Amino acid sequence: MGFLAPFMLAGLLGLAVPIAIHLIGRRRAKVVKFAALDFLLATKRRTARRLRLRERLLLIVRVIACAAVALALAKPFTSCERKGPQVTRGPQAAVIVIDDSFAAGYLVDGKPWLTRATTDVRKLLQQLGPEAEVAIVRTSEGADHPTELTRDHLRLRDQLLALEPSSRPADTTRALAKAAQLLTASSHLRKTVYLASLQARSGLRPDDPPWGEDGPALVQLELRPARMMPNVAVTSLRADADPGAGTRGVAFDAEVANFSDQPVKLELSLTVADRVVARGQLELAAGERKSKRFLATLPAGARAADANVAISGDALPIDDKRWVRASLRDQVRVLLVDGDPRTVRHDDELFYVEAALRPGDREDSGTQVRTITAEELAGIDPKAKGTPAAIELESFDVVVLANVPALPVERVAVLAQWVRAGGGILVAPGDQVDPAAYDRTMLPLLPQSLRDPIDTTWGASPEDKDSRALHLVKWEADHPIFAPFSKAAPELADARFFKISLLGPTTSTADRKVLARFTNGAAAIVEASLGSGRTLLYTSTLDRDWNDLPIHPGFLPLLQQSMRHLARKHAAFSDPVHIVGNSVALPAGDLKKLEVRGPEGLGAVFEGDRLAGRSTVRFGRTDRPGLYKVVGTDQTGATHERDELNFVVNLDPRGSDLAQAAPGDLPVSGTGTGGTPADSTRRIELWHALAAALLLLLLAEGLLVQR
Amino acid sequence: MPSLPQRMDPAQLSRLGTLPIKARVIVQGALTGMHRASLHGSSVEFAEHKEYTPGDELRHVDWKAYAKVDRYYVKQYEQESQLTIYLVLDGSASMGFSGGGIPKLEYAGLSLAALAYLGIQQQDKVGLLASGDPAVETIVPPRGRSTHLHDLLSVMDTVMAKGGTGDESPAAALRRIAELTRRRRALIVLASDLFDPEDETLAALALLRAQKHDVSVLHVLDPHETGFPYDGLTQFESLENQHRMLVNPVAIKREYLDRMDAFLTRCRTTLAAAGVDYHFTTTDRPLEATLLELLVARSRLGPARRAV
Repeated sequence: MGFLAPFMLAGLLGLAVPIAIHLIGRRRAKVVKFAALDFLLATKRRTARRLRLRERLLLIVRVIACAAVALALAKPFTSCERKGPQVTRGPQAAVIVIDDSFAAGYLVDGKPWLTRATTDVRKLLQQLGPEAEVAIVRTSEGADHPTELTRDHLRLRDQLLALEPSSRPADTTRALAKAAQLLTASSHLRKTVYLASLQARSGLRPDDPPWGEDGPALVQLELRPARMMPNVAVTSLRADADPGAGTRGVAFDAEVANFSDQPVKLELSLTVADRVVARGQLELAAGERKSKRFLATLPAGARAADANVAISGDALPIDDKRWVRASLRDQVRVLLVDGDPRTVRHDDELFYVEAALRPGDREDSGTQVRTITAEELAGIDPKAKGTPAAIELESFDVVVLANVPALPVERVAVLAQWVRAGGGILVAPGDQVDPAAYDRTMLPLLPQSLRDPIDTTWGASPEDKDSRALHLVKWEADHPIFAPFSKAAPELADARFFKISLLGPTTSTADRKVLARFTNGAAAIVEASLGSGRTLLYTSTLDRDWNDLPIHPGFLPLLQQSMRHLARKHAAFSDPVHIVGNSVALPAGDLKKLEVRGPEGLGAVFEGDRLAGRSTVRFGRTDRPGLYKVVGTDQTGATHERDELNFVVNLDPRGSDLAQAAPGDLPVSGTGTGGTPADSTRRIELWHALAAALLLLLLAEGLLVQR
Repeated sequence: MPSLPQRMDPAQLSRLGTLPIKARVIVQGALTGMHRASLHGSSVEFAEHKEYTPGDELRHVDWKAYAKVDRYYVKQYEQESQLTIYLVLDGSASMGFSGGGIPKLEYAGLSLAALAYLGIQQQDKVGLLASGDPAVETIVPPRGRSTHLHDLLSVMDTVMAKGGTGDESPAAALRRIAELTRRRRALIVLASDLFDPEDETLAALALLRAQKHDVSVLHVLDPHETGFPYDGLTQFESLENQHRMLVNPVAIKREYLDRMDAFLTRCRTTLAAAGVDYHFTTTDRPLEATLLELLVARSRLGPARRAV
């Protein structure tokens, strides 16, 4: 406690005045000899105490009033540790950076944190005064930022009132940088950034500070409800085929993260097509991430379904649920061209290929296979159209030329055109292949020309045969066709190759890439783009003539992946994951109108110019997590749901980590160019209260005198 | 009530010569212009006519009546003996109070002096008792001689000059009268403020009345006692003891007046119930008016109790 004008305390001597008045008043009383004193005494017995009390009260009230006058003039103040921000009223430039990331929906006492924050920021706005030029910058990623400071506090208040937690994570550093940029343009000397955030580390990039030493002053509003804000979130969810559960079996892998310092035990539930199909429990240690696998089957008749995994609610409900879209594979239609058909089944060139593509010959293997001979391939010729032998290449995704002798130029041209239009072709050599003939006609289909094959075991004794065999090494592990294999992949590496075709110069195809090599360095699989299609050249046979890969476990996945890759249907079982705020490309096809219906009324309609002549449209309003349905109207005017185009949008899990930022994570508080450094104590002036008390005392004194 | 002639202010009167003069002035003032018939002024008062019967004194025959109606009527008189009047003056300290005018004691004394004057003039025997100071017994025995008036008034003058001492109530003096009068009926006039915490005075008056005495009370109070016109912080000090109190009179005025009203009502009702002739007056009222009221009231009491 201190006084701004301590000399005014001399006024306390004025206390003597009421006391003197009281004493003198007693002495100055008129003395009256009175006969009927008994009556007075009787009266006094009842009133004396009250009168005495009143006199004393009057004395006390007057003494306190005198003291209050002196004290108020001395302007007392007390200091306390600053709790709120130091706000100076008056002309200045200020930017209020407020956290509206999805974490701002964190429930504090049953209300979203943002509600409290906006209340405090409104107070702050009031404290800054009408002369302050202010802007409000939101921290959520991708938020629109104001372009200038304004004195229109009414509009700013409306902005605050309309503020709701977004579904994006915070990018506090970017918001601070924008704030600094806004302040740079201001001519005010005092420039301050007020940060109203949860102080979560996740939104800050300490290595990319928004300003330097000469930046604006940074005042952080103390709005974090607690040092530790526990939160549990579903951070990822993927769906994979689960062949063990049948062709419709799906394994859902949900990753749950515990962003608190306490272990938690929570319940998870899996919902597929709006039905809860599985529940589970998970115990997570502090800071732990754990995966939980659910096995389920897609509803009968549906090729795709929307699923979500939710955990029991916590203070931040928005990240307790994650969506995924699980689709069954589309069938790959493969045209196998057998260049060396045999009557003995297992000698047939395509015996192993057929077995690999249709394991168990089941309908649901995901591959539809038609096998023809090289001669029957003549059916693709234009002149064969309309004849029973005609083959519609358009009804196939992939053509496999296994040990097929060189084709005539015109047939190659048909095939090349089909590949350019999006088809996929796999060429494998064999004994029927003459490299020279291939060079003459087949080059439009090949990434590289073929050379004569080499037999690595030629002349070797049967004992040495094994040691001289080649093996697959150096395959592109990231490539989709090798996706099922581990780095070492013994199921591939153990296969022995005794004879391989060598490759000659590259052809005119684009994007040629060697996907795998043999131990001697020769290319094993070469890929190239041809128009919008792909061609794949395998330098050994697809049966056991030149190698024993077909009897190795790696053959089946490799072949299936290759077919999917060539058919462009190799996409992950889960549809691509879209994060809130990302735009989603939707194939327009031949639709007349395309409508996207998202959660909470979000959506868009594409028609007319927005759709005509486009192969894809981009939908950007993915502002909320959830399922977005697509409804299309085709040229005939029929409107139906396009399930295959539906997509899900999820939260960016980065924003779920609410761990408190270290002081060093925040940018340094600059001087604000002319401002004074913040003081950690706050002065509370007391004279207002004293003046109010004085008024009350005078009122009380008046009442007492009246009585 | 007849219109009163110009009265003298009691304060002016108190400055007027000696007590006998004052008494005469009061009496004259009171009786000037009054209808003589209503107040004959004789101790032997005409009561009624009675037809003459043998044995009646001839001197009482009303010849004028005989001349008118040609029959003998004899005048009958109420009281034929000399009346004994005891004047009791409350000389206690409280009677010395004056709120600005003359003290109550002086007012009471002047009133009684006037009565004494009247009584002696009518050849009644007038005695005086003064109460107040228990150490001093002031008794002037009743006598009817005209020289007695001088003695009586000089004693009264002394009492008044002392200005009120002691706190003895008039009850003792009244009881003394009861002893002195024995069975002879007397007129007893008490002038007092009746400030008696135990109400002994009222009891003594009732007792005298029970003994068939004719009792009148002149209740004298100062206007300051009835109106309590004080304001500002005031220290009230008792006249009879050491009590004192500092008070804001405005704060207690209402309650004081209520108590005073209750006191007056109590005096009036108690004495009326006992058959005592009660007259209330304040010291600012002209003495003549007070005296006249006393006399008029007595004249209305009827022949049996009419004395002065």
